[in-house]
Amino acid sequence: MSKELRFLIVDDFSTMRRIVRNLLKESGYADADEAEDGVAALQKLRNSNFDFVVSDINMPNMNGFQLLAEIKKDDKLKHLPVLMVTAEARKEDIVMAAQQGAAGYIVKPFTKATLEDKVNHILTKAGLK
Amino acid sequence: MSTPAVDVHQQIGALTRQLHDSLNGLGLTEKVKDWAGELPDAKSRLSYIARLTGEAAEKVLNQVDQAKVQQAHIATQVQHVGQLLAQDAAGAIARGDIAKHLSEMEQSGRKLDEHLTEIMMAQDFHDLTGQVIAKVVNLAASMEEQLIQLLIQTAPPDAVANPPIPHEAYVPALDGPVVEPTGNPDVVTNQSQVDDLLASLGF
Repeated sequence: MSKELRFLIVDDFSTMRRIVRNLLKESGYADADEAEDGVAALQKLRNSNFDFVVSDINMPNMNGFQLLAEIKKDDKLKHLPVLMVTAEARKEDIVMAAQQGAAGYIVKPFTKATLEDKVNHILTKAGLK
Repeated sequence: MSTPAVDVHQQIGALTRQLHDSLNGLGLTEKVKDWAGELPDAKSRLSYIARLTGEAAEKVLNQVDQAKVQQAHIATQVQHVGQLLAQDAAGAIARGDIAKHLSEMEQSGRKLDEHLTEIMMAQDFHDLTGQVIAKVVNLAASMEEQLIQLLIQTAPPDAVANPPIPHEAYVPALDGPVVEPTGNPDVVTNQSQVDDLLASLGF
């Protein structure tokens, strides 16, 4: 049996963190932690081991784009797939996320199937599944 | 000697001039113009919140109705199994009656779980409306601050006024949920448009 993958869910709304966490659990990914913004996320990423980041964009203190940039310039973290899950629906935001190295982009509101498909696709592509 | 009506007119004129000068002095004329532009936007945002919360409530109630049907079905099956076991347990197992009821219970349990997931997903309105509410609250707070400044500026010299406490609530810098996507070519309206856009860029 392969090792259990560890997820970090980053969103300033606890409701959304809980929803994503439950959906991941239903999809077979039960090991997850949460952070309420980019600053808290970065601290957790640097102090613990994670395999996958699911991040909102519009957050206080450090937004999702800034978090993505920090992850991608950190040699120890840059390998991590980052899936953006956000209400930001401007095309330029989607393009920017892709150019900055996001592994995927989901617009809210989303379905369970969408999250499951994206996570599985990204994990397969990254050789983690 | 001037009539009272003329006096009132002159006083209103003086107050209007004072208000105009104060608005200009505080640089509020431009602010007021901004508010005029932002208020319709705030109305759209509030309509969006009303729509989303209404849809979420409707969705939850529908899912609960359907979940209750499944729950009732499970309860009936359990009752049947109880009766079969009480009457002739060995026969009911041998004939496959127990297995049939268990299978039905499993199916209903799965459907029940799907309804619960949908109920959970319906709670995403909290995040989406929360972002929109933050923007409207920020507009209201900004107007309040500017109006307090205006009051202080125009208050009689002997009136005591405390300066307003700066509003430091978190203001989302990004756009947040699109409240009116129709006719806006710069935004996507569903996930397949996101996927198409990313695919067109080679991602």
